[in-house]
Amino acid sequence: MTTMRLSDGLVLKRTYDPRSSRQSINGEQYVLHCHHFATLYTQLADDCGMLDGKKLMAEVAEDTFYDVLKTYYAEHQVTGIPERILVAEEYYAAMGLGLVKVRCAGPEAGEVELLASHIDQGWVKKWGQREQPVNFITGGFVAGAFSAIFDRAPRSYEVRETRSIVAGAETSMFEISAS
Amino acid sequence: MAVNRAVETAPYVSALYTTVDRRKIIDALSKLEVVNNDEGLIPAFNVFVNQMPARFWTSFSERLTRKVGPELVDAAEWLLVNAAQECGYHTGQGIITSDEWNAVVAPMVTRVPEDVLHGAFAVFTAWGWAKSEIVELVPNERMVVHAYDYYEADVVRYGQRSRPAAFMVRGVCAAFMDLAYGGPYDPTGKSGLRTFKCVQTKGIECGDEYGEFVVTRA
Repeated sequence: MTTMRLSDGLVLKRTYDPRSSRQSINGEQYVLHCHHFATLYTQLADDCGMLDGKKLMAEVAEDTFYDVLKTYYAEHQVTGIPERILVAEEYYAAMGLGLVKVRCAGPEAGEVELLASHIDQGWVKKWGQREQPVNFITGGFVAGAFSAIFDRAPRSYEVRETRSIVAGAETSMFEISAS
Repeated sequence: MAVNRAVETAPYVSALYTTVDRRKIIDALSKLEVVNNDEGLIPAFNVFVNQMPARFWTSFSERLTRKVGPELVDAAEWLLVNAAQECGYHTGQGIITSDEWNAVVAPMVTRVPEDVLHGAFAVFTAWGWAKSEIVELVPNERMVVHAYDYYEADVVRYGQRSRPAAFMVRGVCAAFMDLAYGGPYDPTGKSGLRTFKCVQTKGIECGDEYGEFVVTRA
């Protein structure tokens, strides 16, 4: 087991179980994938209009990251709002999803800026720019993170992507409001 | 875990003998740490890499394939497999030309592409995708892979699933055969990719002891 302290905010403990050949971080199984995989899953969600695949993907991300952050906050006794936000930002980066900055946050609303993005930049690298947002995973991440940060249940927040790197903007912007 | 378990008189037996030392590769590469750069990105193997909870991917595929209905489930599953096949093709090419590969695996390779295939499944095991090995290999035609543990099986915690669900393993198995026998690597994916297809014939999620993946020409 190795312990990696990226900063004062986030501690990652990586383990490899030779019996099952599984990789874990902080007890949660993790897996490496590439931007081809992530963007093709995203494209599938985008194309799946009959089910609202975008919402489905965002909800899966919200449920997953809510659990991960909630567990981390409890196990590491992270109780302050700024500390919780720092952990969420650093966790997002550790996953290789990009550089996210919470510009403001309260229990009712918030603004989150994305300065670099695995999904948007991966999409552009694979298919080029497009006008409509594609980062449903980050929308879900932000919703799950806000619920975990403010001790609310999942589905407590609605997230709208109002500006997108995939559309040519320098950064993406997500606006959050309580449901 | 031996790879040369086939009947010795079988015509495909020679392709199972390999100079690749699986244990050595797994020991070396399973400890590799993947760390993001200052932009929160992980550029590696000529792609952007992400490391996310495995359950994110399985939750998405499970919810999607359960909700599309019987008339669209085959199409949805094909798209999930295709995502993995493209991923396996491009990232696989990046891996077998990487510094890590050249340092650990390449010195063990004496026969191309069969030893490369054996090495690729050792890496596939080391990095936590599936504890898998080739159990049958007819060069340029057919490969059978057994996976004794894989995260996609976790969608079932009780009972048995009526349809197998290891879409990622299926796609990557086909992709590795594309890289081995599908012609020169094509970064655009227009040629070389999808020259092979994979069918999952057994699954841990279906109550079998292991997952079985049969790859043949598309």
